[in-house]
Parts: sequence; C-alpha cells; structure tokens
Amino acid sequence: MPNLPFARPGPGAPPVAAVPVGNDADVRDPDDIDAVPLRHPWRWVIAAALLVVFAAVAVSLWQNDNVNHPTISEFIFDRRILDGVVLTLVLTIVSMAVSTVLAVLLAVMRLSNNPVMNALSWLYIWAFRGTPLLIQIVFWGYLGLLYAQITLGIPFTDFSLFSVDTNTLIPAFTAGLLALTLNQAAYSAEIVRAGMLSVDEGQYEAAYSVGMSPTFTLFKVVLPQAMRVIIPPMGNETISMLKNTSLLSVIAVLEVYTVATQISSQNLRQVELLVVVSCWYLFLTSVLSIPQFYLERHYGRGNARTLPPTPLARVWAVLRPAPRPTIERADAP
Amino acid sequence: MTDTLLPPLLSARKVRKSFGGVEVLKGISLEVAAGQVMCLLGPSGSGKSTFLRCINHLERIDGGRISVDGELIGYAARHGRIFEMNRREVARQRGGIGMVFQRFNLFPHMTALENITAAPIGVRGLLKPAALARGRELLDRVGLADLAQSYPAQLSGGQQQRVAIARALAMDPKLLLFDEPTSALDPELVGDVLDVMRGLAADGMTMVVVTHEIGFARGAADEVVFMDGGVVVESGPPASVLDQPQNPRTKAFLDSVM
Repeated sequence: MPNLPFARPGPGAPPVAAVPVGNDADVRDPDDIDAVPLRHPWRWVIAAALLVVFAAVAVSLWQNDNVNHPTISEFIFDRRILDGVVLTLVLTIVSMAVSTVLAVLLAVMRLSNNPVMNALSWLYIWAFRGTPLLIQIVFWGYLGLLYAQITLGIPFTDFSLFSVDTNTLIPAFTAGLLALTLNQAAYSAEIVRAGMLSVDEGQYEAAYSVGMSPTFTLFKVVLPQAMRVIIPPMGNETISMLKNTSLLSVIAVLEVYTVATQISSQNLRQVELLVVVSCWYLFLTSVLSIPQFYLERHYGRGNARTLPPTPLARVWAVLRPAPRPTIERADAP
Repeated sequence: MTDTLLPPLLSARKVRKSFGGVEVLKGISLEVAAGQVMCLLGPSGSGKSTFLRCINHLERIDGGRISVDGELIGYAARHGRIFEMNRREVARQRGGIGMVFQRFNLFPHMTALENITAAPIGVRGLLKPAALARGRELLDRVGLADLAQSYPAQLSGGQQQRVAIARALAMDPKLLLFDEPTSALDPELVGDVLDVMRGLAADGMTMVVVTHEIGFARGAADEVVFMDGGVVVESGPPASVLDQPQNPRTKAFLDSVM
C-alpha cells in the first residue's frame, strides 16, 4: 500500500496508529462522548415568522403611495441636508467634549471636602437637571430679552470693562451649544461621580502612601479606573445628545432636523424628509458606537486577563481560521 | 534600641485617636531606631492598623505626636507655633514613608513596572529611563524580574504583594510600614513575601510590621509590641515577649495564635 497521508484503510486493512501533531484535544479518544448537539427547532420557526413580518412591513412601506420614494433619494444627499448633518455632528461632538470636562470638574467638586465647592456643584446640578432642556434652549436663545447688554465689570459699581449686545455675543448657534453643553454637564457629572465612587478606597490610600497629591491621584489613579464605569453610560448620553440637537430647531439653529422642516414646509413632503433625517440619525448613531468600543477596550486593560478581540480581528478570524492540526498516518511501507 | 546615641527614626508619644466617640488608640508611646524592625501583635480591633495608618497620616491623630526622622507628621513648627500641614506637604512626607497593605492595592490599570515607576516619575520627577531601570532592579530584588509587563490581575496574590513592596521601595523610604502583608494570601504564598521582608530587614531597612506571623516576629523583629484595647500591653525583645510573656493578656493571645 502506498504511503498516502489521507488514504482511508480499506476493509481488512490492518489498523493504523494515528500520530497526532498539534493539539491533543482534536484527536478523538474512544472514551470521548460523541453526542448529537441539542436541537433548537423553535428558533428556526420564530426566525422565519419574524422574517415574514419584516418583509410584509417593508413591502407595505415600499408600496405606500403616500410616500414618494424619489423625493427621499433626491434629498438624502441634498447640499442643505448634508450641511445640517455636519452641523448636527459638530454640535454633538463639541457639546459632549466640553460638557465632559465640566462634568469632571463638577464631580470632583461634589466629592471634595470643601463645603463651598460641594454646595456650588449641588446647586448647579439641581438647577440644570431640574428644568427641561427645551426651556433651557429657549432661555439661552432669547437671553437678549432678559439682558439686552452683557457687561463685564465690578458688581454694584459703575465700573465696566466692556459691554456688548447680547444677540451679537450669543448668536443662535452659540446659544444652542451653550444650552446643550450646560445641561449635559449636569447629567454627566453624576455619571462621572458614580465612576469615581466605584474606585476602591484602597486605591486612594495606596496612591497617597507613595506620596501622590490628591490631584495627581485623581488623574493618574482614580479617573483611568473610573473610565471603565463611565464610558458605557456616556455612550448613551452621546447618542441622546445627537438626537437632542434636533430640539435646537426652536431657536432656528440650522442642524439637520431644522433644515428638513424648512425644506418640507416648502415642498410639503413632510414624511419623506422625516425619513431622510431618520436615516441620517441612524447612520450617525451607528458610527458613534465605534469609538465607544475602542475606548472601552482601552480602559479595560488590566481588568480582564485578555482583551476582547477587535471587530477587525473577529473578521480576520472568520476569514482565516487557525489551521487544523493535520493527522499524519504512519503506514507500514 | 535604647543604647543608640542617634535619636529614634520613629517616635510616637501618647498618640490618641477616636472614631465616632470610640477611642481606638488610648495614648500609644513607642520608638523605633533606624535599621530596627518592630512587630506589632495583638487581637483584631486592638488598634494596630489604625496606629500604622496614623504614622503616614492616612488617619489624623486626635492627640499626642508622631515624628519620623525628627519631623512631626502632619504638622510643622514655625515661629514657635504648630501649624497643620497643607496637602502638598503631607504628600511630600508620605513619600518618605512606604506602606504595604493587606489587600495589596496595586493600581489595576498599570503593569507591574508602571505601578513601581508611577510615583518616582510623577512625584519625584525622576526621568523615565532612570525610573524604569530602578523599577526593573526592584522587581528583580523581589524575584519578579520577568513579570514587569504583567497587569496585577495576571499575578498571584504573593506576586502582587511583592510588586507592592517594590512600589513602596521605589520612593526610597526611610521607614516601611506593613499592614498585615500576608493575611490575604494563600498559605503557600506567604513564604515568598516573608522572605522578601526578611531580606529588607537584613539590609537595614527600618520597618514597622503589623502581623499575625509569630514566626516572622521571632526571627526578624528587634522588638515586639503587644497591643490590646488601644494601649501597649507589653513590649520588648521577641525572646522575652513571645516566650516569657509577663502580662496575662499577652499570654492568652499567644496561646490562641500558636
């Protein structure tokens, strides 16, 4: 018999010893149970039923005469819509970035032993979390009605450094950004505080015992560990923020929803333009979850013994599975 | 200890401390000379750990005074008056006093080497290459040279505690405090940590060790102090306190742990 590596022994051929190369676990032992895996027939039934329902909904939407599909494709990449998308993204990123810095400050103040800082932080969170965002937006947008001029000087004296017209200093975009940022800071402060509280007291003691100051401890020891707890809810907040930017339509900031309503008030295609903005919001929220994954992975180091694979690594693993160990046969010549 | 001409490195006089009306330290007075090892023994709740934490100002004392190397802890004398120190000065003082905790308290987001070098770089302003070289040297000293890049979660309890000792040593402390360093370890891991501590004692490190390891106290301590109920009940060389205790409370405690 020729020495073929994978030739099956014919009937009556002498039994051959398999010499495993590589992982022993892949070599079947006669004592191993060769069981049929548990079947899950209902999963297939439910999946099939759901597919039918989804298909029906999709077809009914597609065939609905009240929806003019060409309008959707006409406006989805419209110049004005794209500008609105960019503004929405800018508003989201800037307000989240600035509010997070403010939130860390508020959380540290809230947790400090200084009663003045503590009270100030409490008051801020109380005020900005206790009133509706919509009202705050209108307030900043129409600040000019309350104070026509904004003056920097010494209180209770006539001395003033400069004085400007409120509407010049705070145009609609700035007012919107201010409203979103200040409101978000109050919510984020509580998230950051929760994250800081999740860090073990022993970490502070260890840091202090090697001579670290409270500030150094905060930035090098406490916040990096708190991030693990902070990031998932902050991802939530970022997505909320993205959608809350649409509230700025009440003060006519030209973000994507405002633009869409302006267009639909002219062509009366309200449903189509709402579909257009919804598609953009869905797309943007999907994109925003990518940095969240990598941030979580970065701050998770040291906590798990092995880090989860990146999506790219997962795709790679499917495309190029680890080579199976080959079993060489030692046939007698 | 009393025959040395140098002033004691650690001196505590009538130290008192209360938590919410309960006095846990009722006037502790003791001295440790440079290069000596003192072991604090006593039942749980006797105030040993609290006293240790007072030495590096993790707890603020209510009365008495503690000084290390001639410097009052937490207070500074200026113009004939005593002022409470600000946080920066307290941090500087703590840098000269190392502490090893029962629960290790390594920074989980840093590797073993980063744990050791964080304070020398960030607090003392040591340059990174010098700090890393010193860090590796210390890891080698505690027998973990090849685990420099491991995170604490990847290390055993005994290895974590040895990294924690190296972390404390990295600030070149005058005094090392150990708060039950082997109490959270599996029995077979205790030996490695005690070996490192014996090595430090032999090298002349001044140490105050709260422990339940009577064998370590007998072999490595210059003085053993038995505390109970917030007071020092008995103190002296290990041979006398451990083998011929005079006080009935000391006897009862030693009988229960040995």
